Amino acid sequence: MTLARRFARTLIGFGALTIATLLVAPLVGPTAINLRRVFDFSVPFRDNTDAQIFFVARLPRTLAGACVGALFAAAGVVFQGLLRNPLATPFTLGVSTGAALGAVLAITFNWSVGFAGISAVPVAAFAGSLVAVVIVYALAQARHRGLSTTVLLLAGVTMNAFFSALVLFVQYFASFADTYRTLRWLMGDLDVSSYQPILAALPTTVAAFLIFAWLARPLNLLSLGPDSAESRGLDVTRAQRAAFFSASLATGAAVSIGGPIGFVGIIIPHLVRLIVGPDHRLVLPAATLFGAAFLVGCDLVARTILAPVELPVGIITALIGGPFFLWLLIRRP
Amino acid sequence: MLQATDVWFGYHQPRIFTDLHGSQPRIFTDQHGSQPRIFTDQHGSQPRIFTDLHGSYRAVLRGITLAVPANGFVGILGPNGAGKTTLLRVLAGTRQPQRGTVTFDGTPLTRLSRAALARRMAVVPQETHLAFDYTVAEVTMMGRYPHLGAFEIEGPEDIAIVEETLASTGTLDLKDRPFSTLSGGEKQRVIIAAALAQLHAGHASQPPSPHPGVLLLDEPTASLDLGYQLEVAALLKQLHDAGRVAIVISTHDLGLAGTLCESLTLIRDGAIVASGPTDEVLTPENVRKVYGVEADVMRHPSGQRVVVPVRQSGTREVP
Amino acid sequence: MAAHPKTLSVWAIALLLLLPPNHPITKSLNHQITQSPNHQITQSPNHQIRRIISLVPAVTEMLYAIGAGPRIVAVSSYDTYPPEVKKLPNVGALLDPNVERILSLKPDLVIVYGSQTDLMQQLARASIGVFDYRHAGLADVTSTIRTLGERTGDGAAAEALSQRIERGLDAIRQKLKGRPRPRTLLVFGRERLALRGIYASGGIGFLNDMLEVAGGTNVFAEVRMQAVQASTEQILAKRPDVVLETRATNSAFPIGDRDAELSVWKTLASVPAVRNGRVLFLFDDRIVIPGPRVVEGTEVMAKALHPDLFK
Repeated sequence: MTLARRFARTLIGFGALTIATLLVAPLVGPTAINLRRVFDFSVPFRDNTDAQIFFVARLPRTLAGACVGALFAAAGVVFQGLLRNPLATPFTLGVSTGAALGAVLAITFNWSVGFAGISAVPVAAFAGSLVAVVIVYALAQARHRGLSTTVLLLAGVTMNAFFSALVLFVQYFASFADTYRTLRWLMGDLDVSSYQPILAALPTTVAAFLIFAWLARPLNLLSLGPDSAESRGLDVTRAQRAAFFSASLATGAAVSIGGPIGFVGIIIPHLVRLIVGPDHRLVLPAATLFGAAFLVGCDLVARTILAPVELPVGIITALIGGPFFLWLLIRRP
Repeated sequence: MLQATDVWFGYHQPRIFTDLHGSQPRIFTDQHGSQPRIFTDQHGSQPRIFTDLHGSYRAVLRGITLAVPANGFVGILGPNGAGKTTLLRVLAGTRQPQRGTVTFDGTPLTRLSRAALARRMAVVPQETHLAFDYTVAEVTMMGRYPHLGAFEIEGPEDIAIVEETLASTGTLDLKDRPFSTLSGGEKQRVIIAAALAQLHAGHASQPPSPHPGVLLLDEPTASLDLGYQLEVAALLKQLHDAGRVAIVISTHDLGLAGTLCESLTLIRDGAIVASGPTDEVLTPENVRKVYGVEADVMRHPSGQRVVVPVRQSGTREVP
Repeated sequence: MAAHPKTLSVWAIALLLLLPPNHPITKSLNHQITQSPNHQITQSPNHQIRRIISLVPAVTEMLYAIGAGPRIVAVSSYDTYPPEVKKLPNVGALLDPNVERILSLKPDLVIVYGSQTDLMQQLARASIGVFDYRHAGLADVTSTIRTLGERTGDGAAAEALSQRIERGLDAIRQKLKGRPRPRTLLVFGRERLALRGIYASGGIGFLNDMLEVAGGTNVFAEVRMQAVQASTEQILAKRPDVVLETRATNSAFPIGDRDAELSVWKTLASVPAVRNGRVLFLFDDRIVIPGPRVVEGTEVMAKALHPDLFK
């Protein structure tokens, strides 16, 4: 089957799954709502509780989940291609720990400065992720000649450890309540209650995905090794730079919306490769769609399984991720 | 068609070094900038390479001049660290020399875009490790990428070319198998097929273009078992005989080079020791100069050249 | 470490989180008012207590109220009331008690949190008396006062104080008898300028009890936990009549931000509390600290819920 046919089948298959999930998710929740009443526009919105639950609580949450899931999954694919390692995650290079540091500072010191309609914690998280990206890249560049992925990995892992230590340090000065709130932020929370965080992250998201689209073929070539890729006409340094920055920005945007939700960025790329094969021109769009559906599904479980209590979505992704990896380990010879 | 002229390639690294008499360390400046230049130190001793005050130049290739004719078969020989791989990369255009030029049919490589370069020259490395589980067909298809536009997808002609090149290397029946499951010899043959697909100028239905391009192989048989070595050697000979492509191999297998190549270039420490037709170049004196080994160069009844190392130069026999 | 003028926001509530709801001690605390929840580790009862160190701000207030204030030699880094405590040295708090400092001050009695087991062991090894404070419901304020009084030798004052508090709370209950009880969402923490990370009081615990006395009904009364992370959907579904945001005074929103913080609730327009302008900020230590001022705190809360009744 030609690539074009497989591409179409992939898009249709995963697209259908994603659309179905996005349609079902806002309809399901711990509270029973009447669909007819939700769309009864004769009742003023201010008085329509069902409509408010649908449009203020559930719909933004579903869209946030889709956006964050797509970003994490796609970023995971790109990082794995960049580092030539299927075990790489969006968190490997320290981007999310930088974001966590920003968030911890904002929570602990009660920052109230917002930006573009969103409050301090998401802004601080995104700023933290940018700082991490810049530092890691600068460290990796300090060694001569282009961008060695080995040095990048070392720099990323080092900054990961360093930022983690800083997070603990700040938490030490925090009150118990702030520590608790930070801990819950780290577990992920998609209850955005407004479209603002999604809109604010939109420019970064769009830019990242445009670059991802261009990166699909280069990532295939990079998996042969940088020298082989170079001899097949790829500007390896440019491609690696593009991959690093786009995936890091995508991760930063995702973490600023919902916190560092783990496992999406590694489960989805693996699953997708098992289904469509390793060609990045199929893996990237499939992972984007599947990541969205997956996270929305996990959030659905998180908010209904122990109703009225809502679990943090990161717990659900972790509970799925662990057994998934066990299964991966067992099935491989 | 591929011509390297007086090519220098090396790395800058900061260094303080002494003059020839080992006295106080002195830093020599190069008043003309950072280009590597040869000039003598103040004591009129051996010529050495200097750069400016802020760095020094460690040369990997020194003044290499090499010609690869269309449909030629050139061998680059030398001990490890002689600069063979670097020379291959410079010939392929993926590294730019600090001095000297490399031209393809008269056009300097620096004037060609990366894709254009890739369409004319393909490199087969010693080993290929994939990060992900691509099939043979997918790996070979990556050879066609330099022919595709930014968002273009390979079409039926590309698929046909891939099948043709796989067939020409005897690996068509492996098409849908994961690359990682292949034997060493099969992998090399697939990568050669991918390289041929990379060089294939037009549609499968047309005959190969008159200037098919250059296939560069870096130690093509070094990591292979004996049987696979023969396989790959036979394939290369076949490709050469069919007139499809010019071939450059770098190797330390003297017998292989002696048998397959029409011309040889022997290098040591980045400089050419001898260069020319195989018969003239592959002599015991040259082997001694390059490898420091006394050897016999003989012709086997099968037609293959054999180089037998007998003993190290100036020392006792090899046990 | 110096006391930092920072989030005291819900240290008391934070303690609630330390104690799981179905821990046997919590259960006993909630159901038996008079049983002493605290146990002594050393000491004969006749030993005179002359030097007290308190790591628990609520208990510091209790000590002052029963007349043991002059005997306090050091307090925690979170203590702010009464004003006299500012002159006293501080020895850390829940997470970072400074053991050396505590020992160097040679106390007879150290008030610690129930979870500070390491500290308790160290003090026991030094043969220093320990009052192990467990935090729970409103009723335990008076039982703690009584036990404390026995320990410090101020039993009579403690009893008098406890009865005053119990009478005060009863008076409020009587005043509100028969009154309709507004359904209330009691928020003790959330992100600044956003409706995210909202933490509300569940159906058990000190804040919930206070709300009950003050004449309100907790919308999360059926959730048998002390703290609930309330999602947007839950708040919309619960439709509270009143939203009370409580904080300690030094973690209150700055005056300039109050309007902005109030307006973030506007996205939940269908909630009656938002519609009727009944989102209220109660930034008062008397509400969040389960100490001797609980009656005043409860009055503040009752006034917020039933403004017409408290002129």
